[in-house]
Amino acid sequence: MKLWTVLRLNCTVALLSVAATNSLCADATTERAPAENEGGRFFATSVEPLLKSKCYGCHSHASGLMEGGLTLDSRSGWETGGDRGPAIIPGKPALSLLVKAIRRTDVDLSMPPDEPLSKAETAVLVDWIEAGAPDPRPAVPDSGHRRADMDWWSLRPLVRPPQPPETTPRAHTAHPVDAFIEHRLLLNGLSPAPRADRRTLIRRLYLDLHGLPPTPDAVVAFVNDPDPLAFEKLVDRLLESPRYGERWARHWLDTVHFADTHGCEHDVFRPHAWRYRDYVIDSLNHDTPWGRFIREQLAADRFYPSDSGLTPALGFIAAGPLELSRAGTAPITFDYLDRDDMVAQTMAAFASATANCARCHDHKFDPITQEDYYALQAVFAGVGKGDVEFDLDPDTARQRRQWTDLLAAATRGDPARLLASEHAEEVARWERDFGKQPTPWKPLVAATFVSSDGATLQRQEDQSWLASGTRPERDTYTITSSISLATLTALRLDVLADPSLPMNGPGRQDNGNLHLSEFEAYILEKDATEPVRLKIRSAVADWNQDGWTIEHAVDGNPATAWGIYPQVGKSHQAVFELDKPFQVKPGSQIQVVLKQLHGGGHLIGRPKVYATDAPDAVVDIFPESVRAALNVSRGERSDAQQVAIAAYVLQGTAKARLAALPAPQTVYAVSNTYSRATKLASPMSPKVVHVLRRGSIDKPGNVAIPGALSAITALPGRFQVDDPNDEAARRAALADWLAAPDNPLTWRSIVNRVWLYHFGTGICDTPNDFGRMGGAPSPPELLDWLAVWFRDEAQGSLKQLHRMLLLSSTWQRQSRMPLAAEGTADPSPRAVDARNRLLWRMNRRRLDAESFRDAVLQITGRLDLTIGGPGIQQFTQAKGAQATPKLDYSAFNWNDPAAARRSIYRVVWRGIADPFMESMDFPDLGLLTPQRGQSISSLQALTLYNSDFVLHHSQQLAARLSDQHDTVDAQVGEACRLIYLREPADAERTLLVDYVNMHGLAAMCRVLLNSNEFLFVE
Amino acid sequence: MLNRRSFLETIGGGFGGLAVSQMLAREATAAATERPRPEFNGGLHHPARVRRVIQLFMTGGASPMDTFDYKPELARLHGQKLGPEEKPEGFTALPGAIMKSPFAFKQYGESGRWVSSVFPHQAQEVDQMAFLMGMASKTNVHGPGTYMMNSGFLLPGFPCLGAWVSYGLGNLTDELPTFVVLPDAKGLPYNQKGPFSAGFLPAVNQGTVINASGKNPIPDLFAHPRYAFASRAADRAGFDLLHQLNTQHAAVTPQDTQLDARIRSYELAARMQLSAPEAFDLRRETASTRREYGLENATTEDFGRRCLLARRLVERGTRFVQVWSGPQGATGNWDNHGSIPKELPPIAASVDQPIATLLRDLRARGLFDDTLLIWTTEFGRTPFAQGGDGRDHNGGSFVTWLAGAGIKAGTSYGRSDDWGYQAVEGRTYCYDFHATVLHLLGIDHKRLTFRQNGIDRRLTDVHGHVVKEILA
Repeated sequence: MKLWTVLRLNCTVALLSVAATNSLCADATTERAPAENEGGRFFATSVEPLLKSKCYGCHSHASGLMEGGLTLDSRSGWETGGDRGPAIIPGKPALSLLVKAIRRTDVDLSMPPDEPLSKAETAVLVDWIEAGAPDPRPAVPDSGHRRADMDWWSLRPLVRPPQPPETTPRAHTAHPVDAFIEHRLLLNGLSPAPRADRRTLIRRLYLDLHGLPPTPDAVVAFVNDPDPLAFEKLVDRLLESPRYGERWARHWLDTVHFADTHGCEHDVFRPHAWRYRDYVIDSLNHDTPWGRFIREQLAADRFYPSDSGLTPALGFIAAGPLELSRAGTAPITFDYLDRDDMVAQTMAAFASATANCARCHDHKFDPITQEDYYALQAVFAGVGKGDVEFDLDPDTARQRRQWTDLLAAATRGDPARLLASEHAEEVARWERDFGKQPTPWKPLVAATFVSSDGATLQRQEDQSWLASGTRPERDTYTITSSISLATLTALRLDVLADPSLPMNGPGRQDNGNLHLSEFEAYILEKDATEPVRLKIRSAVADWNQDGWTIEHAVDGNPATAWGIYPQVGKSHQAVFELDKPFQVKPGSQIQVVLKQLHGGGHLIGRPKVYATDAPDAVVDIFPESVRAALNVSRGERSDAQQVAIAAYVLQGTAKARLAALPAPQTVYAVSNTYSRATKLASPMSPKVVHVLRRGSIDKPGNVAIPGALSAITALPGRFQVDDPNDEAARRAALADWLAAPDNPLTWRSIVNRVWLYHFGTGICDTPNDFGRMGGAPSPPELLDWLAVWFRDEAQGSLKQLHRMLLLSSTWQRQSRMPLAAEGTADPSPRAVDARNRLLWRMNRRRLDAESFRDAVLQITGRLDLTIGGPGIQQFTQAKGAQATPKLDYSAFNWNDPAAARRSIYRVVWRGIADPFMESMDFPDLGLLTPQRGQSISSLQALTLYNSDFVLHHSQQLAARLSDQHDTVDAQVGEACRLIYLREPADAERTLLVDYVNMHGLAAMCRVLLNSNEFLFVE
Repeated sequence: MLNRRSFLETIGGGFGGLAVSQMLAREATAAATERPRPEFNGGLHHPARVRRVIQLFMTGGASPMDTFDYKPELARLHGQKLGPEEKPEGFTALPGAIMKSPFAFKQYGESGRWVSSVFPHQAQEVDQMAFLMGMASKTNVHGPGTYMMNSGFLLPGFPCLGAWVSYGLGNLTDELPTFVVLPDAKGLPYNQKGPFSAGFLPAVNQGTVINASGKNPIPDLFAHPRYAFASRAADRAGFDLLHQLNTQHAAVTPQDTQLDARIRSYELAARMQLSAPEAFDLRRETASTRREYGLENATTEDFGRRCLLARRLVERGTRFVQVWSGPQGATGNWDNHGSIPKELPPIAASVDQPIATLLRDLRARGLFDDTLLIWTTEFGRTPFAQGGDGRDHNGGSFVTWLAGAGIKAGTSYGRSDDWGYQAVEGRTYCYDFHATVLHLLGIDHKRLTFRQNGIDRRLTDVHGHVVKEILA
């Protein structure tokens, strides 16, 4: 029995399918052509009413429900079927799942769930299927409404709308944002709230742009600044500060679910991920234009190859989680889900599109086909996540590329590269200097040649020694010889083939191999009692067994060794270069020790040892092919022989030049040398991506071609990539598609995000979804006006966009909700628009987790404004059961200087969030978070009241206050200035002083840091 | 004159109404339109049978054919190489030969349920349980499997069952957290805190992770003693001072929801400080209760303590308690790759008596009138041997049991094939399981939704059928 053939390891599920209430397909499914034949009439009169009344409730577009992935409101619905496959097989009721379900023969599949169909009803459906299931409804209901789908606000071409006419009596300003907002207020009969006072404004502005409150001095200066342009200048100054990038980077990192660990089952640290975080901060501070920001993050390597320092931008694609366990045990599923994350993130972040909803089927609500979705997967088919090396300095990168290329050419023996004229002179010079003048090696004429384990070693005529007799497991040969050279620069060991050895040697092992564990050399000067150990700088052999290189013979580790397998039956040689020329005193003796400790009789059969005083002796070790080529005179060499020499010489050059370059940097990003979280020996070709039916890897359909959303007709839906192996071209094509001026989604998406972070809610309140399930923009003309302005006038400059929004009166209004004044004509905005969707006032917002932390650090005077660098771990770490360590946030010492860095520099462990930050709505970075929650709860109150962080800093603040001020009164005053940015009122001062007298200053600081006035931004 | 409740309903004030309603004891609700209704016994859409839940989760994939799913066919085929010839996607290794259970099975109770010798205590209670014998998962990998059984999705970032229940029904008491998680003392499960995440739901719904053996079970309930200035007197006076400051501040903007909610949050925090320590104090239990839960025995002590704590918490109004057996990792849990006969008995013994005691105790105290007890795991194990006598992961079939309010005791639903390899009848996915639990709580799983990035998210995605066969 082949049971596993029926096994459905359906590892990929309809993960992100939709359950919703919108009805988009009703016109296509209920308005149908009249039945043309008898089957059609039967369907119309008997079958369809039954389906409608009994099935559509859970299985139709009209109901918005596709339970089990099945729809029954079109022929294609039952043909394709749901999770279990086709629902109906025409002519075969017994094999049709639908019949099984209504007959309730399988308890696992009983429909309708509540009340079974009557016998007569069942018979109608069975008869219909028996008759071949004639279904006159459109086979593909989608085709009918697809055109209508395209007519959707976010897909319409971007056209700059006219500003509203200045009919509003309140339009004091020509500011376009105000014109749109106030026009809408006028239509609703509302008046905007007055401008906030300067103290409120400066606090709001600092927290908005920097995520830090202003200092009391900055507040006083601004409040008293007579300059009418004071606010504008303040905005400009704040935008120029690096604090701006640190604050706004967090918004983007939330949006792209960036964290410093994998998350999931094995939540492993990514020690180099921080470089992407720094890249984002830096890009914002330098105001990288939005189009370029897109191109850098998707394909910096392709667009800006000479600017290697931009490599960290590719950390964008790798920002999300990684399921290490799945990569190992379910690799195909892993590939599809890993790319799914990249697609979902890229399209949500840049285009506010939920492309990933089309993973198992065409998007139910937006014109995104399953082919589109897998086209997007194909864009990322050539990369995997991992540590990618790069050079910050572009010139170093250029050199590294040059020498790596040359090394690769030498390794593969590329004649075109190696025999190119640019290298001819170098090769010729080498041959002149070294190739034709072999190093004068002098064989050591050994006085003794001793085996430690009883082998017989006999001197041969050529001064080599041949082993015979006992073959011990291990052996150490010691050669002692006089030495006539005045200077010693290198030693050479030949292991010679010999017919008396197994496989002709050169080893004594049955397979002809040998293992030299350690090579040591000593000089014993005349009259000296202790020998001098000669230091060996490097070792080179003409042949190295895989994993058993000659370096192992000089690494001081007896457990590793040099071997020559499978090149047996041939002589081999190794040269050991001293770290500096050794001056040999007359009468000295040299001792060479050959430790062969691997065991199994891996011993040298016929060793011969030489010495030399020549410099550069190491280059004398040539591969066999080079030696042979050198023996042919230059004019008579074949191409292959010329290539052999050039490859040898240029390989040495390339290696030396590479070794001299500064060490590269590393970032956790994507590259084509990673697959399934594993580093590959060489770059991979893009993987083949199939359109998966129902999103299941068991049902691969057509091969996907790289592309994006075909619904955007102004842009190519599929990409022309000439070389299918050029994976970077795929990413570049998607970047071009997204950054195109004609892309209607991109520009709307980013201006909406920036609006959201300034105002607390977006013009469209679903920043990651501009589809039919998302919100509609309000007012839509404002979103389009800003998008066009940002793209064209501002040239994608975020800083200009900030300026535009912050200088509007709309942003500067007070947040307080005034009570309706008795007897006024104006309706109370509070009654008409309590949720402030019309923006008649500013939204009040709670400090987010980072702003609270950073503000407390600043107020206590210990905020460390160091910019960038590896993340700060605000927890202790212990070994975990497997790859994930145990973290303890409560054991962190808040006196540690690392505690004082800004929160953006914290190491964010994706699966083990900081409980303090979590309680303040720091998001679960398993998912994209375009907008954080602003929750309020009793557990949060306990955290703010009792957490180490708050209590420790209450203590620190108290210490600071008592250092600066002698009286409780003055200390209370200073606390209010630092925390509230104002003087305390008299009654308040009394209250606080009383409390301090009872419970101390630190206890009061804790209360103030918990108060609403501090927690909220007005 | 508006009363407080309708006032909060009318004034959104620029942030979700949910957090505010969470402030309102026993009235906390899912969405503006759906609130627990008294006529539904606190259910949202229909009468609730269950008001509180204890979920026991066996980390690693508890072997069904060595515990509750008796498969004599395995003994007949033992040693035969009948499995896949290539490593299937999601297996950690190529499966070996068919392997019989090394444990003796016997029938118990009036229901005649077969139970192996590793669960002698639970075996005595089978007539109280309803078994889902055809559970299946869509993955064979721990991380995604643990997510699935908790959040219904294979990927991170989705809210778990406990968070959805908290979101949908709110709390039963102000004095304790609504959703409590009690991880194994040896460590967190797979995905770390991912299985307790509130995902995109408001943060207030995330599981409060409690270190049952630590001195401060509820994090930050009180200041650490090293902060001498935060004495209890300073605490209480501090709450009063804070109240005065916040009230004065709010006077400028009267009737403001956000400000009001924060003022209330400190009042509730103070109440939690008063009540919670008692709930966590197991010394208040009798010696015999402590012994029966296994607190005197090193094997059962950790799990037993957490079972007892779970009972105390639900008794006092915690809505949802999750008790984990085993951390992630290669040892000390239910992931018995190496050897079923060596690895399964100790982990089974660590939970068996505490679980049986918990079940009896809940029943004896009348808590089964509105409490549901669930035993589950992330997936099953292969009928084929791995290595010598271990078993590999298998999403094809596993067992879950439920007991307590609304459950038809002594029943079972679904069946696996003769090898216990694949569920063949009554296949029950996490969707159906979750739909059933929500149903018991008075929630229609299709109507408990949260709009996220343009999708009305559900715990059950687009799936799920209530398994009515096991309902009383």
